[in-house]
Amino acid sequence: MTKKSVAVLACAAAALVLTGPLKARSGRPAAELPFPLIERFEHFGLEQGLPAWKVHCVLADKGKVWVGTTKGLAVLEGKTFNVIGPDQGLSHSVVTALAVDPATGDLWAGTLRGLNRISAGKVETFTQTSSGLPNNVVYSVAVGKDAVWVATAAGVGRRDSRTGSWSLFDATNTLMHEPWAYAVTLSPEKLYVGIWAGGIVEQDLARGTWKEYRDPDGEFELDLAPDDGPISDISSWATWEDGILWQGSYFGVARYDGNRWKSYLEKKSPLVSNFVNFIAAKGRVAWICTDRGLTVTDGTSWATYKSAEGGGGTLEITRPGAPPERRRTATAMSNDFILGASITENEVWFATSHGLTRGILAGRNAQATGVRTTPTQGASR
Amino acid sequence: MRMRGFATTATTGILVAAGLCAGARWHMLKMSGRKDLTGVKSCQTCHGRPRTVEELPWAKPRPHHASPGGLVVSPDGKRLFVALDDMDEVAEVDTVTLLVVRRSKVPGGPTGLALDPAGEHLYVTCRSGDRVAALETAMLKEVAAAPVGTAPVGIAWIPSQGSGRLVVANSVSDDVTVLSASPLASLGLLAGGREPYAVAASPDGSTAVVVSRMASLARGDEVPAAEVTVVDPAALRVVSRERLESGHLSEGICAVPGRPWTLSPILKVRNLVPITHAAQGWVVSAGVAVCDLSKGSVVELPLDETNAYFADPSGIAVEPSGKRAFIASAGANVVTVVDLARLSHWLETADDGARRGAIDDLQLSPEYVVARVPTGLNPRQVALSPDGRTLWVAERLQDSVLALDTGTLQPIGRVVLGDGGSNDPIRRGERVFARASTTFQGQFSCRSCHPDGHADGLAYDFDIDGVGRDIVDNRSLQGLAGTEPFKWTGKNPSLRVQCGPRFAKVLTRSDPFGERDLDDLDAFIFSLPPSRTRSSGPWTDAQRRGREIFFATGTTDGREIPYGLRCSTCHRPPLYTDHLPADVGTKGRADNTGLFDTPHLLGIAASAPFLHDGRAATLEEIWTVYNPKDQHGVTNYMNKIQLNDLIEYLKRL
Repeated sequence: MTKKSVAVLACAAAALVLTGPLKARSGRPAAELPFPLIERFEHFGLEQGLPAWKVHCVLADKGKVWVGTTKGLAVLEGKTFNVIGPDQGLSHSVVTALAVDPATGDLWAGTLRGLNRISAGKVETFTQTSSGLPNNVVYSVAVGKDAVWVATAAGVGRRDSRTGSWSLFDATNTLMHEPWAYAVTLSPEKLYVGIWAGGIVEQDLARGTWKEYRDPDGEFELDLAPDDGPISDISSWATWEDGILWQGSYFGVARYDGNRWKSYLEKKSPLVSNFVNFIAAKGRVAWICTDRGLTVTDGTSWATYKSAEGGGGTLEITRPGAPPERRRTATAMSNDFILGASITENEVWFATSHGLTRGILAGRNAQATGVRTTPTQGASR
Repeated sequence: MRMRGFATTATTGILVAAGLCAGARWHMLKMSGRKDLTGVKSCQTCHGRPRTVEELPWAKPRPHHASPGGLVVSPDGKRLFVALDDMDEVAEVDTVTLLVVRRSKVPGGPTGLALDPAGEHLYVTCRSGDRVAALETAMLKEVAAAPVGTAPVGIAWIPSQGSGRLVVANSVSDDVTVLSASPLASLGLLAGGREPYAVAASPDGSTAVVVSRMASLARGDEVPAAEVTVVDPAALRVVSRERLESGHLSEGICAVPGRPWTLSPILKVRNLVPITHAAQGWVVSAGVAVCDLSKGSVVELPLDETNAYFADPSGIAVEPSGKRAFIASAGANVVTVVDLARLSHWLETADDGARRGAIDDLQLSPEYVVARVPTGLNPRQVALSPDGRTLWVAERLQDSVLALDTGTLQPIGRVVLGDGGSNDPIRRGERVFARASTTFQGQFSCRSCHPDGHADGLAYDFDIDGVGRDIVDNRSLQGLAGTEPFKWTGKNPSLRVQCGPRFAKVLTRSDPFGERDLDDLDAFIFSLPPSRTRSSGPWTDAQRRGREIFFATGTTDGREIPYGLRCSTCHRPPLYTDHLPADVGTKGRADNTGLFDTPHLLGIAASAPFLHDGRAATLEEIWTVYNPKDQHGVTNYMNKIQLNDLIEYLKRL
């Protein structure tokens, strides 16, 4: 072997060593993922001060983490959770939805008995009997430039932020197939409403006109014609972000870019489960919270987090044109039944049916919460 | 023959009388839909009322007076600016000669004033115009304006990023507007307390403190509380909210230099204590709330003395040295001087129990009250010169501003802004309304519970019907003209009866008003227009739909609504009352009757809570909670959209 050959082999070996971790198993260079991976999970439960194990929703905002549980609204500020419940004026203990008004910093909290505005510690309640709120069962809240929108069991309500006047939208005055609204989400120009058994309805905010998106094949459980519209008329969630509307259903996920619909099913994509509770979006990436774990995707690349038997978890990464890459992780969600998520620069908070989970993003500078957390192994229950 | 003629005449007369009675009964039944109106004795009960609002006193032109309100002194101390809301003017006064040197027209009821630190721009809240105007002080000309919330009152300049920010208290929309000073533009709208009223910079100048005039509506055993809202104008956020328990009529707030305190005059209202306890000073007393922003704690201290009361404390100012506070008692025509070092000493030495109960201890005020200085009529606002040597006191109902030497506490002179309006019965009536000397020991005035003639949102126990019986919600006096009879029972056919000798026995526990006072009081109260609400601008679709529901004769499923159970039957335009009592199914365990006067609906949205005892916190609750049997109109056929539409219409009235 000549010196030249040795040098070439040495260079090749060095290159292999340097690039090895980035290579997919096929040997081709791994494509950069369009989203960060979670490197570690931390759990928060009763020991850390949460009032209940079951967490319905979570919202991280400017150093505070608001946590909606079955026994009140907890807020993690510094090292401790403080709890706001009915004794502090909250309209009901089961907190189902959270949104912050970016203009004022006020928190809007939906419950199973009304809507609440929490402003510098003061709780103001709105119920179906004391206000124009359509129904006490609030599933989703969104705050727009001039109004607060709520999805309830009897339609959508809009509270004008200037006048305090309520407007109601249901099957009698819109294209809603039925009034059971599960989600409201806003783009700068439009309101999107996820309707149970009614697909998605859209309101042009400037004109007040409505448009309906229904599953063209009309089948709840099946997606007979892929990419033909919403995945199903059963909408369990809807999230708009950066030009993309994500529809969650108990039968899969759909992505709508304003022109085309694209469907994702458990059997035909890396989606971990068709049963979707919630979708959080940042940029063009959706964090899909299901009954069996978390899937993160922009529609082309995928990462799925699940708990593993015997502790810890698994991470499955699927890149375009590449076979899935499976990893074991030392930590996992506190429970794979995930009901909500909130994304910040450095971390993602998850509401699960058994505790609150903090996912720390790889390569980011996440600060410690100061709360002593429970052992970090996943504990699917 | 003569007997026969007499019998014929008598029979005819009886038949005619019977016919008239039957006709009248038929007419009443037709027009009211009611068979229970046996108490109606006269056609006058329903007829002889104004048929249009234009006929009402409050809709007619009335004399305007200087009525000085907001005051501010230029940084060099040479000029005093005075807001004259009733004249739509701002006046500039030479502080040496005490003469008005300039007046500038500022449309929209100029009320609150603030100057920038250089004194180059004067910022003015326009209460009826829902805007803030900026005036160049050099020419006293308006150079800019910006819309804010409904009925802005207080305003303060807060040193902040760039050119500084303005914080405005919007009294009707219950919110706080933050504006940039240059250019004058709204930056944000934050939720306030109930009726945000006065604003000041916090002790360190980084935040604004806003005090709400009314206590929040309370349910059950909740204690109503006014609020000090701490606002960070740079971040456009509410930082904290401090509760002033049972605090009412808080019309002023100021920071204390050198201490982390704000001071707010308050009325301590014990509304559910039977009014008979006025004799013991247990119903209304005046105080000052000390809010320690560093601790988030509030201590309420009395300004009254055991047998002397200083009603309706309103404006407040603190010396630049932080040594003394000056509080104008608008109902007592007095400025109370508080020594803050002595007050601080008491706070430091008192235990928690003493601090909590301080407001009820009327022997306490000599610990820190060092002087009472008499003023002209109705001192409402005060301002100190930058050197602290002169206190300016707006004597609102005398059209003058008093200048006091703070060293000697003697008057220096007066700025005369008008003739006082003594020839105007409305002005005279307002003086009667605002003076506390007509109540036992001067404990309260009409204005104590009816600020601006409106209502305080509380229910009271007037023991004439038995202690603990017939607890009734305080009703607004705004828009009252033509809506007789008065009182929830509808027993008082006129204001003269309402406010006459019986009133003195039941409420003021003092000598009754004289005849001329009663006439003047009539003139003033009937001059009050209906309350302002947040609803303005063009009619909305919801309001139009709500109007159709209000005047509906049938339900949406095709059933006819009986005449007596239609909204518009009892709440008949133009005043939306038929002047008759009605049983709408709200008789409670403490009520002696279920028949209550049908209130007018003009400005009704501003009069929460609702129903005779204030049990409905919102308009919605009248029908969602308290009308299960459709006795308060046939409404249970409505879906939520229709009910919301109806309420939007009512908010418009």
